[in-house]
Amino acid sequence: MNVSELTLLVLRIGFLLLLWMFIFGIVYALRSDLFGQRVRKMKTDAAAAPVPASAVPAAVPAAAAAEAFTAPVARASPAGQENPGVQAGMATSLNTTRLVITSGPKAGTEFPLGTETITIGRSSDSSLVIRDDYTSTHHARLMLWHDEWMLQDLDSTNGTFLAGSRVTVPTKIPLNATVKIGATSFELRR
Amino acid sequence: MSKASALTARPTTEPVRRLRLPQKLRNLELFLLLIACFINASAVVLVQLGALGELDPTLVLLGAGLSVLVISLHVVLRFVARDADPFILPIATVLNGIGIAMIYRIDIADKESGWASAAVRQTVWSALAIFCAIVVLLVIRNHRVLFRYTYIAGLVGVVLLFLPLVPGLGQEISGARVWIRVGSFGTFQPGEIAKIALAVFFAGYLVRNRDSLSMVGKKFLGARFPRFRDLGPILVVWALSMSVIIFQRDLGTALLYFGLFLVMLYLATGRLSWVIMGLGLFLGGALVASQTLNYVNGRFTNWLDALNPAVYNADGGSFQLVQGLFGLAKGGLLGTGWGQGRPEITPVPQSDYIIASLGEELGLAGIFAILALYLLFVARGFRIGFAGQDDFGKLLAVGLAFVVALQCFIVIGGVTRVIPLTGLTTPFLAAGGSSLVANWIIAALLLRLSDTVRNQPRLVV
Repeated sequence: MNVSELTLLVLRIGFLLLLWMFIFGIVYALRSDLFGQRVRKMKTDAAAAPVPASAVPAAVPAAAAAEAFTAPVARASPAGQENPGVQAGMATSLNTTRLVITSGPKAGTEFPLGTETITIGRSSDSSLVIRDDYTSTHHARLMLWHDEWMLQDLDSTNGTFLAGSRVTVPTKIPLNATVKIGATSFELRR
Repeated sequence: MSKASALTARPTTEPVRRLRLPQKLRNLELFLLLIACFINASAVVLVQLGALGELDPTLVLLGAGLSVLVISLHVVLRFVARDADPFILPIATVLNGIGIAMIYRIDIADKESGWASAAVRQTVWSALAIFCAIVVLLVIRNHRVLFRYTYIAGLVGVVLLFLPLVPGLGQEISGARVWIRVGSFGTFQPGEIAKIALAVFFAGYLVRNRDSLSMVGKKFLGARFPRFRDLGPILVVWALSMSVIIFQRDLGTALLYFGLFLVMLYLATGRLSWVIMGLGLFLGGALVASQTLNYVNGRFTNWLDALNPAVYNADGGSFQLVQGLFGLAKGGLLGTGWGQGRPEITPVPQSDYIIASLGEELGLAGIFAILALYLLFVARGFRIGFAGQDDFGKLLAVGLAFVVALQCFIVIGGVTRVIPLTGLTTPFLAAGGSSLVANWIIAALLLRLSDTVRNQPRLVV
């Protein structure tokens, strides 16, 4: 035998180490599955314009919420005209965590918002599929522009309505404002 | 809205397309796959250094064949399942490669080479199995297609399960009649493929019928028990597994199918009473079998009284089991090293007892690494089921992952004397073509499921 005992010992331990490194590599790669997504750090410009925390009572029945929350929207819109920065009451990636369906067949369901664009429409490749007679194939989308959620209508037949008025250009969405598409309406909530 | 007029330039509305990161998952998979291939190659090299004392290029080339195959599977994934889970393929590759290295090591001890060598055959079977996985990925573009063939899958499963009982076709090896002879090529164990067909059948059947199974029934002792006429399916599967015990003389297969059915039933209905009843039925049946059937009784004696010299020396006694335990004990914490133990003393060290052989040469650290790989594989399967939105996909993913987990438990538990020893193959590791084909198909189905799960809408109204 031309391989020394010591070499074999080193190789043996090396192999076991390699195997375990492979396992820990996999575990490291799926850490977000084990511990959840990383918490986003607050940016400095967002911290300078803090969002009023009292705007949303957490547990309000969905039906009542739809009427009650049109008021802060009306107040928020004129203030935002000259100010290009992040406005109070607007849905940003920092203060918005979920989309809640408030009316329609799936009223009460919600799904978490990340940072990627949400496409809405009847086609099955949309992130939010709404199958009713009033929805277009590619109806609208929600996207982040400079950390703010924008609602863009994609030339839909029956229109997208934000707090009662039809959306024609990409529009910032206030927190808790009702977005209506076909027979379904939803809100962005913190 | 007045505010909207501030934004004068209206962006063009290009067609909406799902934003996708550029193959991030596939690149991660490729990275892990290269490490996996390196582990496999170094295992073969270490076997040659340890057992032969020199490097022999022939089998290193065969090992490279496995690497080429898994990388071609990876390339197929890049085209047909871009968002599939990136961990399943590397884990299966490492397990398969370690299995081939161990089988090769035992071939060296038995001085077999060429076509007689089990390692060469195992490599060829791996090629065939990975080819089957590629075909599954190419043919099944959406797992919901399988839902249409629920009852056909059930029929295929039952036929495959009882194929070895057909006279002239079936073959009895060491007591169990679970193989069929395929020409002069060798033997095939159709029960391995049957577990996939039955998982598809159970998932489809339970999605269709779970309401009647879970909603109605009398409440008794705090648990809701089903009506007598809803007991049909569980009794049919129970009768099926009992007939496997009696006619095919195979305890492990029966336990595997029955356990699979119970877990999927529990998942579909969320009722513990089904599990209690099912376990009661199986334990009752097994107890009766252990009293009346000779071979079951022998297995129980070997398990409970293994170290008794009379049992150890008896014909069909606990010799094999105890030799496996001696091997594990010799391995200790770090093992004797590849090619330096004597795993060939145990009968069938390359199939049923491969875990004892690996325990001897890689030690406790190596065995735990292998168990951790199985754990990760099964956990990925459960995760895919958890993330799925349609009930069929959920049930199928969890069922397929659970069947791998249960099979590991039955074999490794048997070898380490936790439960009575029953003949099943260790998934991906053990020598045996049918098992490899079945497990690679399971891996392909999980990959397909994970791809559709990531691609489907997040909410449908």
